[in-house]
Amino acid sequence: MVGMNGESGSPHRWGAGGGAPQLGVVIGGSFKNGLTVRLDTARSVEAIQVGNFVVVEGDENRYFSTIADLELQLTDSALAADPPPISSSFLRAALAGTHTYATAEVRPSLMLEGTDDLVAGGGPKPVRTIPMHFAILREAAGEDFDVVFGAEGDGKFALGSPLTMDHPIPLDLARFVERSNGVFGQSGTGKSVLTRLLLCGVIKSERASALVFDMHSEYAWQKEGEGGSRLRGLRELFGSRVAVYSLDARDQGRQALDGTLQIGLNQIEPGDVELLADELNLTPTFAATSFSLQQRFQERWIERLLAMDGDAVKDFCAQSGANQGAVDALKQKLNLLTNLPYIVPNQGTSVIDEIVLRLQRKGHVVLQFGRHSRLLDYMLVANILTRRIHRAYTDQVLKYDQSGDAADRPHPLTIVLEEAHKFLSPAVARQTIFGTIAREMRKYSVTLLVVDQRPSGIDAEVMSQLGTKITGLLTEEHDIDAVLTGVAGRSHLRGVLASLETKQQCLVLGHAIPMPMVLRTRAYDEAFFAAMGGRAKPATPAERDAQKRAALADIYGEE
Amino acid sequence: MRIGEVIETSTVGFWAESERLHQLPPLGALVAVALPDGATLYGVVAFGQTAGVDAGRRAVRRGTDQVFDGAIYDQHPELLRILRTTFQAITVGYAGPDGRARHHLPPWPPPLHYSVQECDRATVAAFTEAPGYFAILAASEGEVAAEQLLAAHIRCVYDRRGRDTAWLNAAGQQVARLLKRDYDRLLTVLEAIDPGVEKYEVQSTKYELGGAANGSGGENGRAGKNGYGDVPF
Ligand SMILES: Nc1ncnc2c1ncn2[C@@H]1O[C@H](COP(=O)(O)OP(=O)(O)OP(=O)(O)O)[C@@H](O)[C@H]1O
Ligand SMILES: [Mg+2]
Repeated sequence: MVGMNGESGSPHRWGAGGGAPQLGVVIGGSFKNGLTVRLDTARSVEAIQVGNFVVVEGDENRYFSTIADLELQLTDSALAADPPPISSSFLRAALAGTHTYATAEVRPSLMLEGTDDLVAGGGPKPVRTIPMHFAILREAAGEDFDVVFGAEGDGKFALGSPLTMDHPIPLDLARFVERSNGVFGQSGTGKSVLTRLLLCGVIKSERASALVFDMHSEYAWQKEGEGGSRLRGLRELFGSRVAVYSLDARDQGRQALDGTLQIGLNQIEPGDVELLADELNLTPTFAATSFSLQQRFQERWIERLLAMDGDAVKDFCAQSGANQGAVDALKQKLNLLTNLPYIVPNQGTSVIDEIVLRLQRKGHVVLQFGRHSRLLDYMLVANILTRRIHRAYTDQVLKYDQSGDAADRPHPLTIVLEEAHKFLSPAVARQTIFGTIAREMRKYSVTLLVVDQRPSGIDAEVMSQLGTKITGLLTEEHDIDAVLTGVAGRSHLRGVLASLETKQQCLVLGHAIPMPMVLRTRAYDEAFFAAMGGRAKPATPAERDAQKRAALADIYGEE
Repeated sequence: MRIGEVIETSTVGFWAESERLHQLPPLGALVAVALPDGATLYGVVAFGQTAGVDAGRRAVRRGTDQVFDGAIYDQHPELLRILRTTFQAITVGYAGPDGRARHHLPPWPPPLHYSVQECDRATVAAFTEAPGYFAILAASEGEVAAEQLLAAHIRCVYDRRGRDTAWLNAAGQQVARLLKRDYDRLLTVLEAIDPGVEKYEVQSTKYELGGAANGSGGENGRAGKNGYGDVPF
């Protein structure tokens, strides 16, 4: 039939912009709180989801916005008290639009001045105004995404697509590596896979080197994903550009490692021990005690402590004023370290230096922990290694500042840190090297990629320093608060965040993306490997040896 | 088809006397009066009545144990002269000589003594395509409550349009819009036109007075179809 009232005709009316379906019209709102849009009755509210990227066509500007909330409205309260019989679809249909309707709260983030020419005119800017009554809300079309997020290409890495359509949404990698970043989400939401995706983007674009502290040995080689899918490792994808070290000598037999890392007692500093206070169950006096030991014996402080007998301890206490009980306790606790297979009494810095050198030469390193995947191992080693990196990069920046020689300019480095709250909790973030990096190392070209399921456990100052945050589903209030602190339009993002699916959906916000966006995370599958230029089959042992030789040659030059 | 003659007329509606006793269009039906200038005026039947020709006198009981109902008319043929059936229509719009329907009141009332016609399917379909004139019915203050009149009209048109569900849904929405300040009245209308409700199936109300018992057809014309015989009202 011919439409009686414009709404009962064809279910879609086609708006002006991009031929995308119209969703409704603006009926109110404010700059502060966003726009209220009365949704067309012809479409079910259920077709619209919170977090969707939508466009409001104003008279002068085009507003790129997000659906922040959906609300059901009744014009007559009598209807609430005495709803029509459930069985009658006719009654429900008749009441739809006049008595019952839905509104959406829409948050404009960016606007494009002049709606005619999309590409010219300087691109989208932050919103400074709102459209008038009855401006049309419509679904976003591909061209809208391109205008806002830019097309995939050089330095633009597609991290996923919007929930409503298949269209790559790229991250600006140059901006991404400029600052420390965070990947959050409950366990199993795909943080590690997301991190691998990001690393692939970074490695492929050569914008930065990456160092991965790979606690669960999942980054380098193929790992079985859930449901039997195969998740290729970085080494398989990028070959010798990604070097793999392990703390566990036994890994060497299974995989072609570039080296095994050992830690000398002489490399452990009081600060490292401090980080382990929880793991070793240390008393609060240990800090003072270990510092006075270090003052006395320098880098051999642990070795000397462990060698002390009762009299030696007494002598030391008499001289330094340390508490004898505290020294005994510390000795007993640190003795545990000597049992760790990768700890040796004395160790030159050779392997650590090799790793640092690789990173400085634009290589990438995955450090596996093998069997030694307790938090104690992880924290100790990550801290020691990162301290060394910190020193090397600060030196390099000083050198560059003096020489001004482009060859001396440090290549940006991003350090991937899983279980980040262990290193960055408010209690330790001020002392650990990771706290320092998160706060100020941007100037020295070293940044963190913090991966954690409990962002609330991370020091607020560190969180506020993160440039780009990518987060999967979070349900705990504290965690949501922690991720959204300091973000504009937080209240609506909160709803978006809590409504993500448990897997392969994420909210991206911050420095590397023009506006907060919910994405269906790109699948980490064979198609992706192909796009990254990966090989179809994993390397054979012979190929691995060749790779290893090539990698060593890269570093030390051909023999 | 001619079914009556205008016997009282005004800007907002008119009264007509039926051609034959008890033969009147159903409540809510669309009727038309062809105007002298070639235009057509449309009305919706809002009230019907059968009473003595002499307004002052009431009918008296005629039935006996043996003769009752239709048979009374066979026994008393004079009834056809002293009784008459009249109906009232509310004017809901008109169509100019160009045939385009207009859903507002015409400039003049229909002339007295002109013929009242029932509308065929095509005319009903054309005039009711858009529901703009529902507002006139919803605002009517006749003997029949506006919501009853609206419901009767919508059911009538729904059927004449061949059970056009899309039209019915749109009509329901229009009623909801008109009665949005009065949920109870609205619900009365919507429940009365809900196609999902069984009571909706109103059977034919075709009268066969007298003669029906022996199947002879009785007095001339009386057995004829009332023009709505093909409609299950
Ligand atoms: N983008 C993706 N492509 C393919 N598979 C994915 C993707 N995201 C998640 N998965 C699947 O989900 C599983 C869990 O993901 P992942 O190991 O990254 O979770 P997580 O958040 O790191 O969990 P945990 O906190 O336990 O470490 C993966 O093994 C994989 O099968
Ligand atoms: Mg993980």
